[in-house]
Amino acid sequence: MPTYTRRGRIVRWGVPIAAVAVVAGAVTAGPVIAAVQGDPVLPERSAGQLLAEAVRAGQSGDVPPMSGTVVETASLGIPGLPEVTGDTGSPAALLAGSHEARVWYGDAGRVRVALPGRMSETNLIVNGDQAWLWESAGNRATRIKLPEGHAGARPTPLPSVVTPQEAATRMLAGAEEHSAVSVTNTERVANRPSYQLVLTPKDDRSLVSEIKLALDGETFVPLRFQVYAKGSLEPAFEVGYTSVTFSPPAPENFTFTPPAGAKVEEQTLGADAKRVPGGLTEEGRGEVRTVGSGWTTVVVLPAPDADTLRRQASQAQAPSSAPSSDPSPGQGEAGQAGQGEAGAGQLVAAVLDSAERVQGEWGSGRLLRTKLVTALLTDDGRLLAGAVRPEVLYEAAGRK
Amino acid sequence: MSTAKPGETPLLAGDRGTVGTAVPARSRGTGLDEVRGTSEGASPPSPPAQDCSIVTRGLTKRFRGGQVAVDDLHLAVPRGSVFGFLGPNGSGKTTTIRMLLGLVTPTSGGCEVLGEELPGGLGAALPRVGAVVEGPAFYPYLSGAANLRRFDAADPAADRRTAPDRIGAALDRVGLSAAAGKRYRAYSLGMRQRLAIAAALLRPRDLLILDEPTNGLDPQGTREVRALVREIAADGTTVFVSSHLLAEVEQMCTHIAVMRTGRLVAQGPLAELRGGAAPRIRIETPDAARAAAVLGRLGLAAVRAGEGEASAEPGEVPTERICAELVGDGVAVRGLAVQRPSLEDVFVRLTGEGFDVDG
Amino acid sequence: MSTVEARAGAEIVTGGPGGPAGPGAARAAVPRDAGRRVRGNTWRLLGSEVGLTFRRPRNLVMLAVLALVPAVIGVVLRTVSAGGAEGDAGAIIGAVAGNGMLLAFVSLFVLVPLLLPVAVAVVAGDAIAGEASLGTLRYLLAAPAGRTRLLAVKYVNAVVFGLAATAVVAASALVTGFALFPIGPVTLLSGSTIPVAEGMLRVLIAVAYVGAGMAALSALALAVSTLTEAPIGAIAGTVVFVILTQVLSTIPQLAVIEPYLLTSYLPRFDGALRDPVATEEMTRGLLAFAAHIAVCGSFAWARFHSRDVTS
Repeated sequence: MPTYTRRGRIVRWGVPIAAVAVVAGAVTAGPVIAAVQGDPVLPERSAGQLLAEAVRAGQSGDVPPMSGTVVETASLGIPGLPEVTGDTGSPAALLAGSHEARVWYGDAGRVRVALPGRMSETNLIVNGDQAWLWESAGNRATRIKLPEGHAGARPTPLPSVVTPQEAATRMLAGAEEHSAVSVTNTERVANRPSYQLVLTPKDDRSLVSEIKLALDGETFVPLRFQVYAKGSLEPAFEVGYTSVTFSPPAPENFTFTPPAGAKVEEQTLGADAKRVPGGLTEEGRGEVRTVGSGWTTVVVLPAPDADTLRRQASQAQAPSSAPSSDPSPGQGEAGQAGQGEAGAGQLVAAVLDSAERVQGEWGSGRLLRTKLVTALLTDDGRLLAGAVRPEVLYEAAGRK
Repeated sequence: MSTAKPGETPLLAGDRGTVGTAVPARSRGTGLDEVRGTSEGASPPSPPAQDCSIVTRGLTKRFRGGQVAVDDLHLAVPRGSVFGFLGPNGSGKTTTIRMLLGLVTPTSGGCEVLGEELPGGLGAALPRVGAVVEGPAFYPYLSGAANLRRFDAADPAADRRTAPDRIGAALDRVGLSAAAGKRYRAYSLGMRQRLAIAAALLRPRDLLILDEPTNGLDPQGTREVRALVREIAADGTTVFVSSHLLAEVEQMCTHIAVMRTGRLVAQGPLAELRGGAAPRIRIETPDAARAAAVLGRLGLAAVRAGEGEASAEPGEVPTERICAELVGDGVAVRGLAVQRPSLEDVFVRLTGEGFDVDG
Repeated sequence: MSTVEARAGAEIVTGGPGGPAGPGAARAAVPRDAGRRVRGNTWRLLGSEVGLTFRRPRNLVMLAVLALVPAVIGVVLRTVSAGGAEGDAGAIIGAVAGNGMLLAFVSLFVLVPLLLPVAVAVVAGDAIAGEASLGTLRYLLAAPAGRTRLLAVKYVNAVVFGLAATAVVAASALVTGFALFPIGPVTLLSGSTIPVAEGMLRVLIAVAYVGAGMAALSALALAVSTLTEAPIGAIAGTVVFVILTQVLSTIPQLAVIEPYLLTSYLPRFDGALRDPVATEEMTRGLLAFAAHIAVCGSFAWARFHSRDVTS
């Protein structure tokens, strides 16, 4: 009850202060609960064992039935990047901000990935050798035929959906050769005790300071993947489960019948390449080559000069020359959903505007630096990119 | 100014305070009329709480910004009294009333209403208190009766089953039965004031606090309110009326307290306060000097001789004896009068200035 | 209810006419049903409050406007062929032409960002400040309504109004939708189709969720309302907050604060249109609402108890 005393007043205001404290506590409850529970201690495993387990869990496609929510956060520090929030289909969306997806893995390679939007949803449902892409925003269902021999293999569903599993698989290819690997067994991800592999590039010309991969302690399913750029405490890129359940999802998740009134389209996965902006030009795709190895691999592509790119961008048809955010070497992701080309065009234009003019023995061009990736567009029509310092690009550019 | 010790209420605060004999106040209810803290002899201990409907001890309110609205107020309102709370506008009367109703938190000091220490006892005390604070305030889009229903619903101790009867009776008592269904918006100022009094009378009360109840009323309305207050007081309810009108208080009240710039100037039974200013006997005579000599011989105090008149405080000496002595001494008495001081004179004497309340 | 109010109920009942019953006498005759009476009378006060809210012309006009919007949307969609709809929600707006039940969701989608919060802010922001500006607050407290009791009743009233306003939107949309468009199995955002009965259930889920969001907004408006004696200030303050937070959440550089903003959780009622229902997302929203209610509610309580009522 109120009293006239100062103490009464303090007690009274203590209630909202306590409420704020409780809420703040609840917001950070994850860490608190983890602290209360203590660090989980899993049986010791060597890095090699874990890598083997992780590769097996990731590559075979033999993910145990599970479902969960994946959150992907990128802060790559690309200068001049126009923000395209909410437009989850755009590749630009992948490069900044935070995105959420729900994923369901059934047995026998059945997968559903749902990207919620405001009053909209994009779904990819893979069931055996057929897949459906449902875009509620366009009221459009696309039946995707997987190419021969690819049945059961998971395609990359959407450019902006990278599940921890996929990220892990890419990273682990040949990881040990070029990295110092360490293991901790006291992580907790999505409230699951997990192992964490920490890969530190041996080559200090890489922009990557370390990569962390958390694996579920029981199933060895990758639960979180983080890339740290040099000189940054927060991960430049992170994708991980915020919640996960290892139980078979309801089978309805993997069946899809186009609703009445929806546009139904057919597509085979191979044909998709025509629409892919990432390859610059059709003919150019064949000339992609890499220089170097491991963390300092540089991708070299033929490219039109900056002015042509800009022109193409302004036509909103321009292919995205932005190197993928993926730091792993030798990766050429090509699965564009055909959406967001306009976003890519804007992206190119804005990125080119912010590029810095450089020249050297190798020639001259424009250099684009981000926290994690450096790209060089030479005036003689080549694009070099890698998670490396500019010197590595210059060196690669010199080797014609 | 207040030289009283805490817990003790001076009858008359102020250096010119005089001691009056305790005059019995209207005896009613508990019949306890003793005003605490008369300065006769040793100060008596605080009377039992149930003898007073309101007791404040060192009640002080300092508003943000440093303005002191009420300063160290020691008030004692005897049960059953009609207590006039006098003071010019802005002297802290309304703030005091707000503190008594728990609307404003005192900066320091405490108060007791109907034996309940505030603020803890607020919930227990307030249902027995009817109040009109700073004029009427109602929902303009509701009828008078609906407004009363609303405030009755707010009282956790009110019985919903008897509500229609009680509301009807309250409206009847203030003469608003005919306008019960009319929207408050359409009420005249006088009707609004009466509706506020009706709201205070929704239930039988032990204490009625009326803040300027006659504000905005015409003379007829003022008379009605005065009659109503007497009637309510006759039921045994303590009535605490604040006013800036001296005459009004003088006509209604058995006890008064006077506020001036947040401080209590005086309080006590009305008769006693009046008595505090001694009556004077005034003799019109051409032989003023001789008359003064006679008065002096009789042992009267404060003898003064002026042009064509002499005056003194008769004290215990009967008027007829003074008259006889004067005549016996051959003083030509042209006129003789005993003058009782008006309340206003009392205040002029207490405060050294006029009670210019309307200014 | 607080102990004091319980005591109040206990002590007053004997204060009959004729003669001042001393406090001691009153205390001696504590009726056994006093506690029940206080509780019963709190319902009575709530009834009075709700009655006042739903009889007040201004509030009725707001409800009528809220009911009108779905009807207007429906008529417009019926007369104009839905073709030019843009953005993520375009398709769902177009889908109303195929299924009237979706009009309920579209109407909520249109009203949740501003109009519904404004209506709730008017009632909740008026709660304390309105009484203060009329001067009735001092009489309610002198009655004595009890500060905690009055605040609780005011809050519950605002919650009831928020839920009613949401339900009015949904009901009006369903009536319009049923009248103007075909009704049949509902296609969800996820592309799957559910029967009509389940569709109605989804509408109820959405209404309940938005109602909870409005309850959180009411707590905020109530807190603002305890700070001022000008109801228009409390209302405007709440509305400005709603607009400002929505503007802020579109600025990418401020994406960090988005999870802490009340308004970023309001549109999540679309979880009811997913398959399966986005329980995780909606639960997070409900927790955010609960957090707002706890913080704003306790702030309002502390502020209202410390406040000097000088109006």
